Amino acid sequence: MSNQSVVIKSNKQGLIVVLDEKTDWESLKRDVAEKFHASAKFFGNAQMALCFQGRRLSFAEEQELVETISANCQIQVVCIVDENEATENAMRQALERQRQKEEGDLMNLQDGRFYKGTLRSGQVLESETSIVILGDVNPGARVVSKGNVIVLGTLKGNVYVGASGNESAFVAALSMDPMQIRIGDVIARSSDSQPAKSLRKKKTEDTPKIAFVEDGNIYIEPITKEVLNDINL
Amino acid sequence: MSEVIVITSGKGGVGKTTSTANIGTGLAKLGKSVVMIDTDIGLRNLDVVMGLENRIVYNLVDVVEGNCRMKQALIKDKRYSNLYLLPSAQTRDKTAVNPEQMKKLIEELRPEFDYILLDCPAGIEQGFKNAIAAADRALIVTTPEVSAIRDADRIIGLLEANDIHQINLIVNRLRMDMVKRGDMMSIEDVIDILAIDLIGAVPDDEHIVIATNQGEPLAGDSSLAGTAYMNICKRILGEEVPLMNLEASNGFFAKIAKLFK
Repeated sequence: MSNQSVVIKSNKQGLIVVLDEKTDWESLKRDVAEKFHASAKFFGNAQMALCFQGRRLSFAEEQELVETISANCQIQVVCIVDENEATENAMRQALERQRQKEEGDLMNLQDGRFYKGTLRSGQVLESETSIVILGDVNPGARVVSKGNVIVLGTLKGNVYVGASGNESAFVAALSMDPMQIRIGDVIARSSDSQPAKSLRKKKTEDTPKIAFVEDGNIYIEPITKEVLNDINL
Repeated sequence: MSEVIVITSGKGGVGKTTSTANIGTGLAKLGKSVVMIDTDIGLRNLDVVMGLENRIVYNLVDVVEGNCRMKQALIKDKRYSNLYLLPSAQTRDKTAVNPEQMKKLIEELRPEFDYILLDCPAGIEQGFKNAIAAADRALIVTTPEVSAIRDADRIIGLLEANDIHQINLIVNRLRMDMVKRGDMMSIEDVIDILAIDLIGAVPDDEHIVIATNQGEPLAGDSSLAGTAYMNICKRILGEEVPLMNLEASNGFFAKIAKLFK
């Protein structure tokens, strides 16, 4: 004869045990023991959160029930969740906010802004979105962007793209000679071995270059069709 | 026991940073563990002169504000493994740090190093006060020019008022040919005015300009300035080193002679 004083439901996180309000405490406990004993094989030794519904329980009663459950099957009770619609809603909202934020970040990568002027030593340009700089970035200056950075000039300073940890961000410059580049969590610095360069402005055939991460390393390559094809926005 | 030395001048452009870089390198070459601290917040240079600019991730202000650990901010020199640089911040100004914080920072470094060199900014404001806060002794850099000597004199007064009494003089950018013609003050004239002990004189040497631009300090190499800086380092260690003949290679014949060496 199936008794309806105890009903076990499950959701993603664990079990909801619906208790009958009217049944007296001792027989309720016995029913709980029976129910869990019967399903012991099915539950195995899974870890789950428990939630009691349908009846107001004191702390001592809750403990008693958990003990009864543990005694009759192998499941490990991780925590007891208060049945509360408000908290559940709050959790759902927090999750949704997080999701929206991630979508927003994605928007930032697509969005951009322009900056006109030369960034000099000690100046910092920070942006939530991608940046196009119409000018040079001098040594000692710093550009930080959550998206990408394009310098229509010479990049000689520090640049940090994908500042929220996005390793698919890139840096492009007409003339690429940076002090340090950081893409997501990967950092590269300029090499030390400068072959006895004269201090006079070396007028080399500067080609536009792009820096990106591949296999955890930063590569700087001339901008060609092949390289651009590999860039994901 | 470590010694904290501040390198200062009052006037700008007389060679504080160049001297710091070369003395730090020289001391490291002599086997001492050395850390150089650039206290010129907002106008850092020591990293450029040392050729370590591209390695900077964290700086002095980050350490003081607790954004990173000391070990993360110290940059190991590329030539000597017992030489370190604590770079200054470029995007902040002198008020980002106060003398108390500098003292604490230097106390943290004291057990780790034989020598702590502080590259002082020009001027006598906050940056200067930060730099001298924890110093045991001072090296005054001056050129044989009236204006530089005026400022050096004022600095010596301020150092004495701050209880730093071991003060030595470096006369930088000396041109013996001009001294001989009577167009430039001699070392003796400078000492006469400032009345502190000389620890070395460095000739005006184009090798210094080249070395500074390349980020390769020349202390200890065969150039005149390199030898002069090495002598200063030895004197810091307490050795008796006679003053070198600064004229040696200023003449045409000396240059020829050097070619045949």
